[in-house]
Amino acid sequence: MAVWDLSVIVEDLGVDAPPLTIGVTSDLHIGGVILKLVEKTQIKRDWSDHALWWEQKQQWLLRTAWTLEKCGIHADARLVFMPQHKPLRLGLPNGITLRLRASFSSPVFHTVLEICKMLNIRHPEELSLLRPLEEKKKKKDKDSVEEIYDLTEVPLTSVSQPCLYNGMPAHFADSPKTEAVYKMLSVTLQPPAPEAIAKLYRPASVVDKAHINSRWLDSSRSLMQQGIRDNDRLWLRFKYFAFHDMEPKYDAVRLTQLYEQARWSILLEDIDCTEEEMMLFGALQYHISKVSQSEPQMLTSSAAMDDLESALQCLEVKMEGESSSASEMLENMTAPVLNDYLKIFRPKRLTLKGYKQYWFKFQDTSISYFKSKEESIGEPIQQINLKGCEVAPDVNVAAQKFLIRLLIPAPEGMNEVYLRCENEQQYAQWMAACRLASKGKTLADSSFQSEIESIRTFLAMQKTNSGSQGNAPTDDSINTHSLVSPRYHKKYKAKQLTPRILEAYQNVAQLSLTDALMRFLQIWQALPDFGISYVVVRFKGSRKDEVLGIAPNRLIRIDLGVGDVVKTWRYNNMRQWNVNWDIRQVAIEFDGNVNIAFSCVTADCKIVHEFIGGYIFMSTRSREKGNTLNEELFHKLTGGHEAL
Amino acid sequence: MDQVSDDELDHGAEEDSDKEDQDLDKMFGAWLGELDKLTQSLDDGRPQKALQKPPLRQETNMANFSYRFSMYNINEALNQGDTVDLDALMADLCSIEQELNTIGKPNSSSRSQGQAKQRAPGGRSASTNVNTRPVASNFSLDDITAQLEKASLSMDEAARQTSTGSVGTVSEQEAPSQRSSVNSACASASSMDSLDIDKVLKGGEAEGQSAPNAQGQGQTSTEHVTLRRANGKTARRQLDFTSGEREVDHEEQAAKLKAEKIRVALEKIKEAQVKKLVIRVHMSDESSKTMMVDERQSVRQVLDSLLDKSHCGYSPDWSLVETINELQMERIFEDHENLVENLLNWTRDSHNKLMFIERIEKYALFKNPQNYLLGRKETSEMADRNKEALLEECFCGSSVSVPEIEGVLWLKEDGKKSWKKRYFLLRASGIYYVPKGKAKASRDLVCFLQLDHVNVYYGQDYRSKYKAPTDYCLALKHPQIQKKSQYIKYLCCDDVRTLHQWVNGIRIAKYGKQLYMNYQEAMKRTEAAYDWSSLSTSSIRSGSSSASIPESQSNHSGQSDSGVDTGSSHGRSQSVVSSIFSEAWKRGTQMEENTKVLVLLVDNNCCGRGGKKSSCKNTRTASFV
Repeated sequence: MAVWDLSVIVEDLGVDAPPLTIGVTSDLHIGGVILKLVEKTQIKRDWSDHALWWEQKQQWLLRTAWTLEKCGIHADARLVFMPQHKPLRLGLPNGITLRLRASFSSPVFHTVLEICKMLNIRHPEELSLLRPLEEKKKKKDKDSVEEIYDLTEVPLTSVSQPCLYNGMPAHFADSPKTEAVYKMLSVTLQPPAPEAIAKLYRPASVVDKAHINSRWLDSSRSLMQQGIRDNDRLWLRFKYFAFHDMEPKYDAVRLTQLYEQARWSILLEDIDCTEEEMMLFGALQYHISKVSQSEPQMLTSSAAMDDLESALQCLEVKMEGESSSASEMLENMTAPVLNDYLKIFRPKRLTLKGYKQYWFKFQDTSISYFKSKEESIGEPIQQINLKGCEVAPDVNVAAQKFLIRLLIPAPEGMNEVYLRCENEQQYAQWMAACRLASKGKTLADSSFQSEIESIRTFLAMQKTNSGSQGNAPTDDSINTHSLVSPRYHKKYKAKQLTPRILEAYQNVAQLSLTDALMRFLQIWQALPDFGISYVVVRFKGSRKDEVLGIAPNRLIRIDLGVGDVVKTWRYNNMRQWNVNWDIRQVAIEFDGNVNIAFSCVTADCKIVHEFIGGYIFMSTRSREKGNTLNEELFHKLTGGHEAL
Repeated sequence: MDQVSDDELDHGAEEDSDKEDQDLDKMFGAWLGELDKLTQSLDDGRPQKALQKPPLRQETNMANFSYRFSMYNINEALNQGDTVDLDALMADLCSIEQELNTIGKPNSSSRSQGQAKQRAPGGRSASTNVNTRPVASNFSLDDITAQLEKASLSMDEAARQTSTGSVGTVSEQEAPSQRSSVNSACASASSMDSLDIDKVLKGGEAEGQSAPNAQGQGQTSTEHVTLRRANGKTARRQLDFTSGEREVDHEEQAAKLKAEKIRVALEKIKEAQVKKLVIRVHMSDESSKTMMVDERQSVRQVLDSLLDKSHCGYSPDWSLVETINELQMERIFEDHENLVENLLNWTRDSHNKLMFIERIEKYALFKNPQNYLLGRKETSEMADRNKEALLEECFCGSSVSVPEIEGVLWLKEDGKKSWKKRYFLLRASGIYYVPKGKAKASRDLVCFLQLDHVNVYYGQDYRSKYKAPTDYCLALKHPQIQKKSQYIKYLCCDDVRTLHQWVNGIRIAKYGKQLYMNYQEAMKRTEAAYDWSSLSTSSIRSGSSSASIPESQSNHSGQSDSGVDTGSSHGRSQSVVSSIFSEAWKRGTQMEENTKVLVLLVDNNCCGRGGKKSSCKNTRTASFV
């Protein structure tokens, strides 16, 4: 057979190096070509990751047993010999950019699998890569040299074993640098500055939201094939909102990144919520950032043991205290009691009476009040049991207003009672006591002190916010504006916002970090619009564009003008769907002879096809753990004609 | 950790060794008492509420109790809340007690002995009976109970010594006398009862028997244990002079032992603080049943025992329905809810009823989920396979998806009999409405109600009561509200389908996955019942009925109400009476069918705190008609 010259560019020799030319015959297989190339370079190194890339055809020549003839390669083919794994800049859901080696030759689905393995994220099928939004280049943006966490040094072979070392995968424990990367991955970040939120792009309409979905990469083709080159930027995001088998024990990174994605989707109004929900999200963010700062590792103990221990501890403390006299000791030993002069007000119709001062006593779950301290031994004027009541704060630090609003259930209805405290200290104590009592806990409960503490820190936050702007904010103070979306920056001043977040905060203040994260995700998932990916489509026979919402369990047809849901189809009723790649139309058949067809306007129909197939795939995952991922099935369901 | 502190305590005591023995003893007692108090308050404050109320209403068939003469009188006195009356009645007993007190004062250990003796008869009736329950707790527990007992007493004493204010003195002098009188009264009352108890025991009715039994045990042992402890103390003091080193070792061990004992005791105390309620359950056929429930029982458990008793065939639709006549509303209790907790919300003069009845609404949601979860307007059929998938999808994911329910409802205006139309939406975070002139974008919605604190009720005949546009009404209110109030929200739907959709949607938003678990549990029972019925019906009955009898265990020494509290001893005496009284009373009513039925609380173990005011409010004595 005739020998002809094949010239191949070897990337490792440098950009300007001339291509190497080797003599080949048409029946030489790809493996042989590579062998000849390596010999020609005369460089001794590990070439195992290298492969041939055919530039004109935009494809990898990965089947080493195929001959040149079978591949259809002639002398005019421009081939590049290069590593399959190349560095990639990866934007994570938390906004941090990571530099790591990813496969440029395998299908994106598999590339994501590898990346997630390295980052210790379970269930990688839920994530995918997308092209980032183009950032508007501002001339003065020179100072924002973003920090990049580098993981390119991590040898790919070491990633395979998932054993933990020092609470992190072994390949992170190698050096302090990689340990820092793991910490960044698994610990939630502090709330962003409000200005930073305002600067970021926010979708204003459903159509805007639809545009983001045109950026997803094709899961069945490689990065190289989709025009991604080394050191390019991509985003790693959760794409399919069907989160399987969430287990805080193993899912530190997954949970954290999901939380970050959820948080940003709320801050950037990607998903709509009510004001009450926004305040709760804000409160949870505040709590999570506070707790994650103070205790990266949380201890879990049963509530019963906690009670007992606290009781014993209480006893201990009392015993340790040097006793001077028996009577004094006795004084110290009685269960914590709050006594103070407070002002009370009962709002009723047609009453003009203001606040009246009494001597208040807090015991167990009840408040009783007396005319004066001297008379506190006798019968109280009234005793109010707070168990089951609603407690709401009404605080303005600047105006020195410390009000506790109590809504106490009684057979006749709810009794409203306001308690007015003199100062922050008093307020924190009484508020904490009221809140515990409303849950049926007494002052002796172990959480009393922490409750006081959390109220005080929150008040301190309001103080710094309302203080002069010139003061440099301290580390632990958070601007409440950074907890809510920009809409509320305009609607409320920080000092108006604080009490509202504080109100929501009381219900979550005692959660552990994991519980708080889970709660955030649960509320996020319970939002009506959760998990819907929008695409602008044109239904067959319709003259106008409409929006198709793709949710984990259904498809939604949405009227573009009004924003109303026109029709919902559930996957459960779906018989089949197919794509006509020539006219780029998706056709779906449902039970009962319901047929729909549409063409896609904002995104490629492959993306829509992949979404639907992907969700079907997600629903096939079994409940049993440890099942290996069925990659083949995923490609079958999402690949389209390329999979064949 | 515990040892260290215990150690320090002992060292501290040694330092001022010129002090009397009883000082040390007192301190110990005080600490133990304090610890006890802490645990009790940890127990979410329920106990003290319980004791504050007068245990019974007066209109009970007194004839029944004529032979329990002394006890009835006590009860009356307590109900009037007049402490002087009580004292007058028991004057002679008081004087004996006071004598004992004064004798006991110089030496605390002997005093506590005296007290223990005094109190021991409280459980005499029980101790004369054969204790059939296996005694799991052995000496160490008894020891602790004794210690705790003593602790409370020395607290009493300490408080008496330290009290200065004139008002305080009066009340504190009153307190012990009250208690002692009641204690002795109990003794006499229960000894009179003993015959009765025996009879009932033979009859196989074991409910509540265990309570006095356990009591008796704890208290009889108190006597000798106290003695032993006193001896031990003197022995140790002798050691003091000989070797300091060994002393530390010894004390460390002792401290360790003590810490362990305290732990065991605390657990026992918690276990013992169980409230019980005698309830009347109305059946659909106008008949009714009386049964006892304890506060730990869930609605499911109560339903199970009712089903066992009534032979009505097993179906998951059997429900306990709360009807509030005054407000014309009703609610099916969810299976996971705590029955006692809910019933305690009723007022004492309440006309509320508890119905045991089959209601298909209870689990219709799970039988035809397509009608509730999909937000469709029309009822439809669905294959069973798809139903399961739908339920799985809705309830078994990482979060429960609340069905998207929205639409125009009528809202009753506060205080008026007029109804206004509004567009409402249900979300996981609550019920919202669209304000006038706005689109229904999430951010513009106004929160109508959050669901944490309210329950959803079906309204009955609001068309005539409130001039509602239709009869398909629902109400939302805090469970504690029992009378007309602006805090009750009334909504009216156009048709019955919408009504059920809303009610079930609210249930899902409120209870989430729990609801589905309840259903699965109920179905499991149904299946089990079918399986068993083919084998032998009797075996199930006996099996589950034994479970239905609430385990009552009493540990009276765990009370140790500190004398620092003025109201406490008063409260305690009430509870002692009430527990014994109610036993007797219950037996009485079981014989007498036509009597008015009362709900009464059997509180075996109360700690007394809190004032009298709330005691009236929190009365557990509610009657059914």
